[in-house]
Amino acid sequence: MVSLSIFAAAVQRTRERTRPIFNQFDDDTENDQLRLHLLAIASIFIIVLPIIVAIVVSTKESGIVTSVTELIPGTSGPANYQRALFELGFWRFMFNSFIMSVIIVVGKLFVSLLAALAIVYYRLPYKNLIFLFILFTLLLPVPVRFVPLYRLTVDIGWNNSFLAITVPYIASATTVFILRQHFLSISESLVETAKIDGVGPVRFLTSVLIPMSRGILVGVSVIMFVFAWNQYLWPLVIIDTEGQQVAQVGLSILRGQASSGEVAWSMVMTGSVLTLVPPLALLIIFRNALIETFTIQQK
Amino acid sequence: MSSREIFTDRAQGLGLLVPTIIVSIIFLYYPAVRALGLSFYQATFGRSSFTGLSNYTRIISSGDYLGSIVVSVGFAVCVVLGVLVVALYFTFLIHEVDYGKSVYLIASIWPYALPPAVAGLVFLFLSHPTIGILTSYIESIGIQVDWFSDGGQAFTVVVVAAVWKQIGYNIIFMTAAMNNIPDSLTETARLDGVGRINRLLRVYVPMMSPTLVFLVVINTIYGFFGTFAIIDTMTMGGPAGATNILIYDLYQTAFQSYDFGFASAKSVILFIIVGLLMIVQFKISDRYTFYGT
Amino acid sequence: MSKVTLTDIKKEFGDVTAVDNISMSVPNGEFIVIVGPSGCGKSTTLRLIAGLESASEGDIRMNEQSVVDAPPDERDVAMVFQNYALYPHMSARRNITFGIRSASSFTDAEIDDRVKEAADILGISELLDRKPQALSGGERQRVALGRAIVRDPDVFLMDEPLSNLDAKLRIRMRSELAKLHRELQTTTIYVTHDQTEAMTLADRVVVMNDGQVQQVDKPQQLYDYPKNRFVAEFIGDPAMNIFPVKLRSSEQGIIASHEGFTIPLPDIDRSSLGSTTTAELGIRPEDLMLSTEAETEAPVQFSAEVTVTEPLGDSLLLECLIGETACRVQANPRSRVSPGESVELSYNPERIHLFDETTGETIHHTDSSSQRVTQIESVTQS
Repeated sequence: MVSLSIFAAAVQRTRERTRPIFNQFDDDTENDQLRLHLLAIASIFIIVLPIIVAIVVSTKESGIVTSVTELIPGTSGPANYQRALFELGFWRFMFNSFIMSVIIVVGKLFVSLLAALAIVYYRLPYKNLIFLFILFTLLLPVPVRFVPLYRLTVDIGWNNSFLAITVPYIASATTVFILRQHFLSISESLVETAKIDGVGPVRFLTSVLIPMSRGILVGVSVIMFVFAWNQYLWPLVIIDTEGQQVAQVGLSILRGQASSGEVAWSMVMTGSVLTLVPPLALLIIFRNALIETFTIQQK
Repeated sequence: MSSREIFTDRAQGLGLLVPTIIVSIIFLYYPAVRALGLSFYQATFGRSSFTGLSNYTRIISSGDYLGSIVVSVGFAVCVVLGVLVVALYFTFLIHEVDYGKSVYLIASIWPYALPPAVAGLVFLFLSHPTIGILTSYIESIGIQVDWFSDGGQAFTVVVVAAVWKQIGYNIIFMTAAMNNIPDSLTETARLDGVGRINRLLRVYVPMMSPTLVFLVVINTIYGFFGTFAIIDTMTMGGPAGATNILIYDLYQTAFQSYDFGFASAKSVILFIIVGLLMIVQFKISDRYTFYGT
Repeated sequence: MSKVTLTDIKKEFGDVTAVDNISMSVPNGEFIVIVGPSGCGKSTTLRLIAGLESASEGDIRMNEQSVVDAPPDERDVAMVFQNYALYPHMSARRNITFGIRSASSFTDAEIDDRVKEAADILGISELLDRKPQALSGGERQRVALGRAIVRDPDVFLMDEPLSNLDAKLRIRMRSELAKLHRELQTTTIYVTHDQTEAMTLADRVVVMNDGQVQQVDKPQQLYDYPKNRFVAEFIGDPAMNIFPVKLRSSEQGIIASHEGFTIPLPDIDRSSLGSTTTAELGIRPEDLMLSTEAETEAPVQFSAEVTVTEPLGDSLLLECLIGETACRVQANPRSRVSPGESVELSYNPERIHLFDETTGETIHHTDSSSQRVTQIESVTQS
């Protein structure tokens, strides 16, 4: 109890001392906005710094950078990237990741669209139960099941194959959830008009639902692509042949090579930058669709 | 909702659900159930023998495992708090700035797209005891950068990397939630002379509470599961188990020791721990959530 | 073209009975309006006719064929919704034609012709290639109408189509709808909560409350001869005044007395009253007037205290207290009356209604029209 009151007093004192600092942000003059902008830029800079460093280092030869003054882009840029891609086979990793991600996105989209269509627009017995059944899988992430999943995958002979790193991801509770929320936001009278006119499910899906869901579909696709592209644990476990590995794990291989001195650290950064580009590009291009999609999720 | 149910062909409807359900059963439910079953066995390649609850007793009596639980919980707490505070800070900053919002927004969201492995590697590189850039600066203020062998430092570095990676995701949701707060509340607060920080903490945060609760849950799951790649690239669970969170320990048991039965038991325990955590979070959040009009 | 008949229709949602045993018959080509307060069951009734809800009990027939179990697309109806229900990603033209291809078997050329015709009628020919967000509320509503017209259904169903429009636009669309009906003559069932719309558009009006039909009649009949207190107060704006009165016999006939006045009701047949001694007396604001403005002399005059004056431009509405009862009186717009004044009121003795205190049923309308009785009986139930 005594320590508690001492603690409270300390908090109070801190409050009093910092109030003048906080109050600095309390008015609305132009100075205030200027301060905010400076703060924002500084903060953002700190966030972005690691990657700036990574990009810079990826262009250097040795990657040993011990002070800021050495943080000027090196001249080995093109050489490094070429080496990473071709000599070290990173292009293979990128290619594998890309194929895997595209298959997952297309597959998930197709399957989840059908599921959401059924859940929202069909009269089915035990529908809520089915929906919960699908949602419950969110509690079963890879770590909880990957040991038997590994054995299952090996048993059906899929180990080391594209099938293993795509098919298990095709059922997506989040995607079905997001699509369902979006479908539910479409006004009932639109749906009823279609019913009165006798529009069939295929026509309804292709001419009404999909065009009305463009933003969401793009957003969901980006989310799924990033998710697929960033998968680490499962590909690590199920793919043995290096040549068939995905980019994420390829990075790990690079790191190993750097640690043992085979490869310069700058190469690790090169690989990192390469791996970073696709999802980042998607994020930047489709940021509006992404934000729209995320806001649906919270409801 | 029933007025939307405009299609009545049951067979068709169920057919549409079949792919999702089948994949869920084969690749999600079945392995999960088998994990439970497998946990009662001593199993490795080609051999398995029933051992009842011995895997579980091994877990409970293992000091290492209990240490791993402590590390995981501590890690999750630090990550969740860190992410929420930093993300809230950024969200609020973007909210208060008069122009350039979308630029700042993208600039702060982008780590979401960042592969966790990359995050780990970059931070590894930046703070590498021998060749890290930040290392010399940190050492110049008296701290010896030594996290390959200092557990506490290793923990810190990994937390920083994990938080850094996750704030983007949080900012997206927080921004949406903060934008949903009616301008009239901000104007009232200003008129009443409420200071900025107070406005954030006393008005905005309560009104964003459903989103914040959602994010606590998401960040917790991230803290337990999503940080695997970061740990694997940076510390591999070391030094001496200082960053050996449950998921990493599980991975090692399965794919380095090939002790599948034991690993399954661990995954069951992990599932229970996370499940319990989420239930607790929901219960607490019910008390603190304010669904504003 | 179709005749629509509802027989003993009941719709329950759990323990709530939304539509309680209603029957009505809509002859071919009629524009019938179902009106009532929120929650009275009017929209549910419309949706039952459309097939969007299925009846718990009862039969619905179109042209003598039972459709009560048929899905909407087999009933040949077209519906216009309150929020227009336009597909936002389609042009006006596509919105209009989207449903037809599924619903009927017109050729493309036929469809184009119909679209052109409907657009001409509705005055939206120039707007056909625009998307809904580029259209105003009234234009969107007309596109929704166009969609219904082009389908050429047996029945138009309209669910509060004008409620989302602003007041002036609503008035304009009302007359356009009337014109449309004159031209197309399609059987139309229209639902609204606005009694003005009902009065101006309908051939006949169905007044609903609490899931039940209160009265079905031509608009003016409804106004002059409401069957019960609910209809009397619902139809007509400003609403009818209701006074609690005591009834007693005298040599001149029945006398109704209120604390503020005593009025003779000579036309009432003593025996029809039975043993009731209390009732509710209804008289519309326009049938109450300042004595100074009365055209004919009424048997009785009485005083009232003015509490609020509402100048409406074409009339002056006086909110008054007669005894303890508040009521409204319509006066000439330029009368010099101020709040707080005491005034002398006169009334039109031929426009009084008497309602049963407990059931609300009309006991009596004073009216010198001899056709009154026969008209009520023939129109009330069909």
